[in-house]
Amino acid sequence: MSAVAMPSERDAVPGAAEPILVVDRIVKRFDTPDGTLTAVDDVSLSIKPGEFFGVIGPSGCGKSTLFNVIGGLLDGYDGAVRVGGETVRGPHPAIGMIFQEESTFPWRSVIDNVAFPLEIAGMPKAERYARAGHFVSLVGLNGFERRFPAELSGGMRQRVSMARTLAAEPKIMLMDEPFASLDEQTRLLLGDKVLQIQQELKQTTLLITHNITEAVQLSDRIMVMTYRPGKVKRIVDIDLPRPRTSEIVSSEAFGRYVAQIWNDLREEATRGLLDDESRKLRAGGPS
Amino acid sequence: MAETGRLTAPARARRWVQAHPVTTLRIVIIVAVLLVWEGLARSGWLYRDVVPSWVAIGRALVVTLSDATFYWHLYTTFYEIGWAMVIGGVSGLAVGILLGGSKLMQRAYEPLLYYLGPCPKIIFFPVMIMWFGVGPGSKIAMGAISCFFPVALNVAGGMREIDKVLIRVGRSFRANTWQMVTKVYMPAMRHPIINGVRLGLGVCLIGTLLAETKLSNAGVGFLVIQSYTLFNMPHMYSLLIVLFVIAIGANALIGKLGGLDQIRRS
Repeated sequence: MSAVAMPSERDAVPGAAEPILVVDRIVKRFDTPDGTLTAVDDVSLSIKPGEFFGVIGPSGCGKSTLFNVIGGLLDGYDGAVRVGGETVRGPHPAIGMIFQEESTFPWRSVIDNVAFPLEIAGMPKAERYARAGHFVSLVGLNGFERRFPAELSGGMRQRVSMARTLAAEPKIMLMDEPFASLDEQTRLLLGDKVLQIQQELKQTTLLITHNITEAVQLSDRIMVMTYRPGKVKRIVDIDLPRPRTSEIVSSEAFGRYVAQIWNDLREEATRGLLDDESRKLRAGGPS
Repeated sequence: MAETGRLTAPARARRWVQAHPVTTLRIVIIVAVLLVWEGLARSGWLYRDVVPSWVAIGRALVVTLSDATFYWHLYTTFYEIGWAMVIGGVSGLAVGILLGGSKLMQRAYEPLLYYLGPCPKIIFFPVMIMWFGVGPGSKIAMGAISCFFPVALNVAGGMREIDKVLIRVGRSFRANTWQMVTKVYMPAMRHPIINGVRLGLGVCLIGTLLAETKLSNAGVGFLVIQSYTLFNMPHMYSLLIVLFVIAIGANALIGKLGGLDQIRRS
């Protein structure tokens, strides 16, 4: 029942480098009308520089809570988040976030969206447009600089968000189900884009998802979370060759990883589903 | 092209009508109203001058527009409306942001605004006259009070409707409070703000002109009521036409502002 026994040394990661991101025994509780809900329970992670780390779990397992805690948008938790050994509370310049929801500024053109973090940082106009232009072409949106988000497709808008976060040049990228609202083909192709950019920029990435294919396609390691409270169920090493493309999804090894993770996940997802149904039953019961 | 040249005039007219159905219908209703009006004027069913002929109104309009004192009155009205919009708009924006930004403030004060908002502001006019005098001061006050409510309520609602993820984006890039207000909150609220200003301008015109007709010594509203008192109907109608044009122009101006989101910022 153990994870595929493979050496966990990554060739991409030079030696036993100091972890760049450490999540140390995070506990986050919310007060709800039904009592206290523990969304994240004693989660610890240690991510090496350049690593692509996937977090997977059923909906309601506290993945997004973890994302917001690491990104510094949520406070009032126990434990610590350390970036390069330094404990951080609140948004940190080394961390860039890509959100699940539609998050482009509709009143800004593509180039102005991407230049936003540079504008916030007070970079001179000419310099920030040059830099923003570079990241617009990195995500393959050349020629769309002057367009507004409303004129683009969902996949293109998500690439704008990606370019905007990349433009701030964070050492660590946090992504919360960035492709959740996209169709399967776009999702696979955007996954390729993410891999290509990640390999080019050697960025450390933490991807939160509920999509097993996506997690295995992209990650070096995957953490499977339990349903309520969200704990670490298992951490699986994905020993697939790099550089990867979406073609890997048809390989035999890929299928084995997917099956193995689904095996872990099914139990949690079932628990989540039953819990959800019984809650609905209680809420909508005869009065 | 040569084909079109050989078409007869009625055929060309028919083609134009088919190509512009909306404009045609608009022209039809305007022409119909003008004709009915002129018919009434000539029928003799009503008092002479209650419905003056368009010829008389046109002549009065020329006289009005070539009179220097008219422009002084027009300037007075614009001056009052301008200051009323600035005072009412800015205070409405400030109060709206306060209400939209705090749950406590909203629960405490927003019901008050909802009940006071639709109440006819003219009842405050006697108070305003005592406070600010018969001159432009009391008119500005009336316009500002009228404009304040729609702006405040729209801004408060707009502030709550801001997509929360945009706020998280701003925070994740470590924008400070001033940057959040100018680069996230305000542009995200541009539609409700413009809408509030548009509604505010409408009621501001009403408040200011109504006050001018009640008690004043200057302004277009004053001229309207003066020509009514002197029973100079053509002159009065010519002034009403001027007011229509101003109102339409003001709305068109605000409508233009509504397209601002398409213009690149910074």
